Amino acid sequence: MTSDTAPPIDTALIDIVKVTKTYPPDIMALDEVSLAVGHGEMIFLTGVSGAGKTTLLKLLCFLESPTMGLIEMDKKDISKLSGHALQKMRQHIGVAYQDFRLLSKQTVYQNIALAMEVRYENPKKIKQRVLELLANLGLADKIHTPTSKLSRGEQQRVSIARACANKPPLILADEPTGNLDPAATSLVMDLFNRLHEEGTTIIIATHDQAIWQKSSHRIVNLENGKLQEIIKVNFDL
Amino acid sequence: MRYISFILGQLARNSRHGWASQVMTLFTVSLSVLIFSFFFLIYTNMQKASSRLGNELRLIVYLEQEVPAAFRQEFKKKITDFDRVEKIAFISKEEAFARLTRQLGQESDVLEDLDPSFLPYSVEIFPSNNLKSLARIKDFSDYLGSLPGAVKVQYGQEWIERFGYFISLLRIIVLLSGALLILTSVFMVSYTIRLTLESRQEELEILRFLGATDRYIRGPVMVEGFLLGLFGAFSGLLSLFFLFQWIKNHFSGPVFMNLFELSFLPLANIGTIFLISLLLCSSGSLISIRKYLKV
Repeated sequence: MTSDTAPPIDTALIDIVKVTKTYPPDIMALDEVSLAVGHGEMIFLTGVSGAGKTTLLKLLCFLESPTMGLIEMDKKDISKLSGHALQKMRQHIGVAYQDFRLLSKQTVYQNIALAMEVRYENPKKIKQRVLELLANLGLADKIHTPTSKLSRGEQQRVSIARACANKPPLILADEPTGNLDPAATSLVMDLFNRLHEEGTTIIIATHDQAIWQKSSHRIVNLENGKLQEIIKVNFDL
Repeated sequence: MRYISFILGQLARNSRHGWASQVMTLFTVSLSVLIFSFFFLIYTNMQKASSRLGNELRLIVYLEQEVPAAFRQEFKKKITDFDRVEKIAFISKEEAFARLTRQLGQESDVLEDLDPSFLPYSVEIFPSNNLKSLARIKDFSDYLGSLPGAVKVQYGQEWIERFGYFISLLRIIVLLSGALLILTSVFMVSYTIRLTLESRQEELEILRFLGATDRYIRGPVMVEGFLLGLFGAFSGLLSLFFLFQWIKNHFSGPVFMNLFELSFLPLANIGTIFLISLLLCSSGSLISIRKYLKV
C-alpha cells in the first residue's frame, strides 16, 4: 500500500512550476523544481544540508523570490503579491524557522501570542491557545521565561508553537526537530499530525530520517537543488 | 476596541524601552510651546493695548487764537479733507483751565494765583485710524501743523512710535519662536521615533514575517508622535498659565499693569496651539516612519 500521491493540479494549494533560484555569483540553490502540494497534504522535504530545502521554504514564505519560474498559492502568483495582500497571505502561513527568529527579551508567552496579536485575536482566545500549545509541547512551566534563557531545543519548540498558533491553513517547518530529543520530537510530530488531521497543509523540511521513515506521507527529496524523486512509503512500515 | 488596547499595550512597551528619550522630547516640545505661546501671549496683549490706545488717541492742535464760530466749519473741513476723523472738539482757554484743575485734583490749589486764560486755545481731533497706521498719523500731524494759526501739534509721538516698534519687534520674536517650535517639534519627535524604531528592528522584522499589517506596525508609532504633541502642548500651555498667573500677581500695580489689562490666551488660540503641536509632532512621526519603517 502506498501513501498520498501528488495531488491533481486543480486541487493543489501550492503549485511550483520550474522554479530556479540562483545566488550571486552563480550558486544554483534550486534548479527547475516543479512540485504540487494539495490542500490538507503533509509532505516531507528531505535532502542533505545544502540540497535546497531551506531555499524552497524561503520562497514559499516570501522571504525570497525565485530567479525563474512560477509559484502559485491558491492559484495566485505569489510574485505579484504586495502590500496588504502579501501581509494577509503571511498571516495564513505558519513558519517555524531553522534559526527560530524569536524575540530574545520577550517571554515564551509573548513570542507565541505575537502571531495571534497581529490578527487582532481576542486576548482570551490567545491565552487559551498559547496555554494549549505549551502543554502539547511540554513547555507549560516556561511560559514566563524569556526565550534567551531557554535551551535551543526549547526555543525550537517555541518557534513551532508560534507557527501553529493561528491554526493556519499552511505550516512550513524547517528542520523542526533538529535540536530535539526523541521525546520532544514525538511531541512536535504529534502536534503536526493533529493539525494535519484537522486539514492543515504541512511541509516539513528535514534530514532527520527518524521522523519520516514511519510516516505514510509523501516524501520529496532534493539533491543539489534538483527534485530527485518522490518516494512512496508503505503505511505499515 | 481590540486595536486600541493593542496600541496602548504597544505604547507601554515602547515607553519601557525608550522612556528617557521620550521624556526629553516631551520636555523639549513643552518648552518650545511655552516659549512660543509666551511671546504670543505678550504680543496679543500688546495688540489689545495698542487697539485700546488707538481708540483713545487724540491729536491736540494748539492755536494762536480761537477759531471764530463762523470759521469752525471750514476749519473742520480742512481737517477732514486729509483724513476721516471720529470727532473734532474746539477747546476754549476756560475749558482747558477747568480740565487742568480737574486733572490736578487735590493739588489744584497750585493754580489759584494763575490767570485762568494762560492756557492756549486748542482743537482736539480723534482720528478713526488706530496705531497700525503710525506713518499716517505722523503725516496727519504734519498736516495739522501746517494749518493756519496752528502753533504745535501734540499726540505723544515719541511714546507711540516706541510702542509701535516694540510691537513690530514682538511680531518678529513670535515668528522666530514659532520657527523654533516647528523645528524642535518635528526634529525631536522624528529623532525619538527613529530611536524607538531602531530599538525595535528585530521585533519589526519578525512582525513582518508574521504578516503584521501596516496599520498594526505604524499605528502605535503614529500615536506616539500624536501623544507627544498632545502632552507637549498641554504641559507647555499649563506652564504658561502658571507663569501668567505669577506675572499678574507680582507685576500688577497702579502704574505698569494698569496700562495693560493682562488677559490669558483666548480658547481659540489655545486650540490652535494644540492643533499645531499635534500636527507638527505627527509630521515628525510620519517622517521617521517613511524614512525608517519600510513595511
